[in-house]
Amino acid sequence: MGTTRRGRRWLVPVTTVAVVAGVGAFGPVVADASPDLPGITAQDLLAKVQTAKVDGLSGTVRSAADLGLPALPGMEGSQFPDLLSGEHTARVAFAGPDKARVSVLDNMAERVLTTDGKTAWAYDSSEREAVKYVLPARSTKPAQPRPEKDAYDPQAVAKQFLDAIDPTTKVEVTGTERVAGRDAYKLRLVPRTDKTTVGSVTLSIDSKTWVPLDVTVMPRTGDDPAIQVGFSSVSFDVPAASTFAFTPPQGVKVTEETVPAFKPHSVTPPKSVTPKTTPQTPRSGSADDRPDVVGQGWESVVVLHNADLTPGTNGPLDQLLANARTVQGAWGSGKILTSKMVSALITDDDRILIGLVTPDTLVAAAPKAPR
Amino acid sequence: MVTRGLTKRFRGGQVAVNQVDLEVPAGSIFGFLGPNGSGKTTTIRMLLGLIAPTAGTVELLGQPMPKAQLSVLPRVGALVEGPAFYPFWTGLANLLRFDAADAMADPWTRKLRAGEALERVGLSNAAGKKVRAYSLGMRQRLAIAVALMQRRELLVLDEPTNGLDPQGTREVRLLIRELAGDGTTVFTSTHLLAEVEQVCTHAAVMSQGRLVRQSTVADLRAELRPRLIVRTPDLGLAAQTLSGLGVTDLKQSADTVDGDPGELPIDKLAAALVTADVRLHGFTLERPSLEEAFVALTGEGFDVAE
Amino acid sequence: MSAEVMEVGGGSSPSTAVARGRHGTALFWSELHLVFGRARTWVLLGVLAVVPVIVGVAIRLSGSEGDAQGFLGQVAGNGFFLIVASLALSLPFFLPTAVTVISGESLAGEASLGTLRNLLTAPAGRSRLLAAKMVALAVFCLAATLTVWLAGLIAGFVLFPVGDVVLLSGSTVSLADGLVRALGIAVLIAASLIGLAAIGLFVSSLTSTPLAAMAATFSAFIVSGILGAIPQIDVIHPWLLMYGWTSFADLLRDPPYWDEIVRNLLMQGAYLAVFYAAAWARLTSRDING
Repeated sequence: MGTTRRGRRWLVPVTTVAVVAGVGAFGPVVADASPDLPGITAQDLLAKVQTAKVDGLSGTVRSAADLGLPALPGMEGSQFPDLLSGEHTARVAFAGPDKARVSVLDNMAERVLTTDGKTAWAYDSSEREAVKYVLPARSTKPAQPRPEKDAYDPQAVAKQFLDAIDPTTKVEVTGTERVAGRDAYKLRLVPRTDKTTVGSVTLSIDSKTWVPLDVTVMPRTGDDPAIQVGFSSVSFDVPAASTFAFTPPQGVKVTEETVPAFKPHSVTPPKSVTPKTTPQTPRSGSADDRPDVVGQGWESVVVLHNADLTPGTNGPLDQLLANARTVQGAWGSGKILTSKMVSALITDDDRILIGLVTPDTLVAAAPKAPR
Repeated sequence: MVTRGLTKRFRGGQVAVNQVDLEVPAGSIFGFLGPNGSGKTTTIRMLLGLIAPTAGTVELLGQPMPKAQLSVLPRVGALVEGPAFYPFWTGLANLLRFDAADAMADPWTRKLRAGEALERVGLSNAAGKKVRAYSLGMRQRLAIAVALMQRRELLVLDEPTNGLDPQGTREVRLLIRELAGDGTTVFTSTHLLAEVEQVCTHAAVMSQGRLVRQSTVADLRAELRPRLIVRTPDLGLAAQTLSGLGVTDLKQSADTVDGDPGELPIDKLAAALVTADVRLHGFTLERPSLEEAFVALTGEGFDVAE
Repeated sequence: MSAEVMEVGGGSSPSTAVARGRHGTALFWSELHLVFGRARTWVLLGVLAVVPVIVGVAIRLSGSEGDAQGFLGQVAGNGFFLIVASLALSLPFFLPTAVTVISGESLAGEASLGTLRNLLTAPAGRSRLLAAKMVALAVFCLAATLTVWLAGLIAGFVLFPVGDVVLLSGSTVSLADGLVRALGIAVLIAASLIGLAAIGLFVSSLTSTPLAAMAATFSAFIVSGILGAIPQIDVIHPWLLMYGWTSFADLLRDPPYWDEIVRNLLMQGAYLAVFYAAAWARLTSRDING
């Protein structure tokens, strides 16, 4: 009797494990049960999304990217390599067309990018450096001192994919869900072409403001999202103007740069290999270095010029290139690097073609790519 | 204190305690005898709820153990298998900690009671010394002091005189008698028969996990039959004569014949031997000690040296 | 949740529970006395207090602002950051080691000395003894981080200029605000150690050899760290003991970012619940032979 009674005590920790695991694994699912929303057609939803406009919002964005890129120690030098891999959290605030603040919450550090339309600041707490950008007065386009602002803006990310909608895209409403405490429709975009590595893109569209709250990109193969960017909390109140102001703290090194009016994008050195999510990735230097886009919709390929990938200067990348498949054609020859989502073709004449496409698509695009 | 069918089988199947039915009357001084490894300490651990019985029940002060241990154990003072203390603390600090562990103990009188308990075991002078510096005998006394921190209805003492010098042993025995005189039931295990003979009113004997005997010490003693010992050079003749008279269990050694005279009158036996021309060098009636009784009960010798 | 289950499973009927509640806190105080009445504990706390001093003196002697990133790089400019940097530096090794030693000792130490049987026949009550042990461990965790906080404060103020505090977000708050936040960090780190302490308590309930308990607990800690460093199994990373340990820095954002802090606290709570329950099941069913 005694022994069995005592054995039963172990049910307590076992039950505790079960409860903890249950709450941890299924709690969020229960909390995010599908809300009841009136039906809507994909076309109507798409129209509403494309015309959606809010005066401002703030919230916390979580992003997770698993593009299947190899970890390249050589990429540590680039400023925002982490956008392409891993999980990140950022606090974002937007107001009007020209005010934005993105604070990337790094481990025990923070990078702040903020602009009030006239000046922009980039602050890195770990380096204790701040860069002040003086923006041209009233440029036609909203000033974007750094492209990473977009990477943490589900709206901007969604736009990239909405722009890609063409007849080759199947658009459907696949249900509802709760995102950041709000009721949302799920809009799924499925490319009909097999030239892209994108399997599907699911947008969670807020049912009141029609703003995309979450973007999930699934690769053609595999069950894990390649990219997921979404709000974990969001408020559609217009943030106060002071949100976008920045006063460099004492003891911080401040450098100042003036952004020319005609080239609002030309600040960030494009050291990081950027996928199609930000196809307009700016280039420093002459206008000739600006990237071109070849192809349309899902098949678009970004072409970077004058990439200096001379063997022996890129550390681990060399090794990667040495093992890469060599392709040849009338356009010349190059090396193909592939991952779950991203393919890159590095030609012998220093062009880099990158896209969320199959390697064959890259090779096909190579002759069309400007030199 | 009552146990019914108390059994402990350790993992691996070894039965340490087998179907033990103990009955310790209130107010008794109960000697719990047995050679080392006979299951005494395991039984005591089950009595106090330290280990769970494989089968059987324990009732302590009329309440079931270990179910009611939180209400029963405050009324029980215990010393289990040698003294155990925090060596880096003083004797007094050790006493205070074990008393604090008992939620029923009054915190306001704790120091006072600790002082009295130390006084009682003769450790007042060493109260402020670290236990690390105590001799085994001092630790044994301190352990008894723990049991004496409160007025107890029952004391369970496992080998209380272990490690004590003769003077200390005498003091502990005196203490036990004194406590029993106040109405405390004392249950003490020992392998020293002298202790039982001198102190106890009741005794039980364990052997190989079984309870082979329990009764009052007086009964135990009364049952011990005296033996007739005849010292003589005429061994054969003496044995023959005694046998003819009805003396049983005769044994011969180099110069003696001994046997159980039963109810036979001793003077008649002596006369008969003389009449039979047995040369008597000695003629004695000897009462055996408890030790011999113990050997008779357990079938093994007493390992006095441990 | 677990506390209620404990009471029911502890085998004490309601009436006895009421009767024994009279001076129930004495054991808890006695437990604190046991933990903090040992030279070993003070040696551990002393080692922790030396961390800020060594870091501070090293930075002071090097004389330069240095190229160090993060909190460490800010120490020379503002002694306040010595507190935060010391806490951050102690977190991966010194604090877990201290917690491992104390928690591994807790029950195994009593069992090896034999004092466990004295406590249980007192009677302490197994469930109550375990609760007292866990509370003492929690207090030790707090004492350990507060030691670093205090030593960092003193060393920082003595060795370096001190002033307003620049938060991670780039905004500036008063020194007093900063000190309160640093105190909050000390409390959060103490809470982060609770899960490890609970594991140590459980391991300690399994054995009568304190050294084995410490070694096993520390191994569990190391293994958790190794698992956390293997990218292929990043699915389980959020469930690891140390996953949210660095969330304390979120207190230095403007405004503080609570999500990860709360998640870490829940995580530590989960570890506490599981291993405390396991320790309870073990201790209440254990045969005390030692």
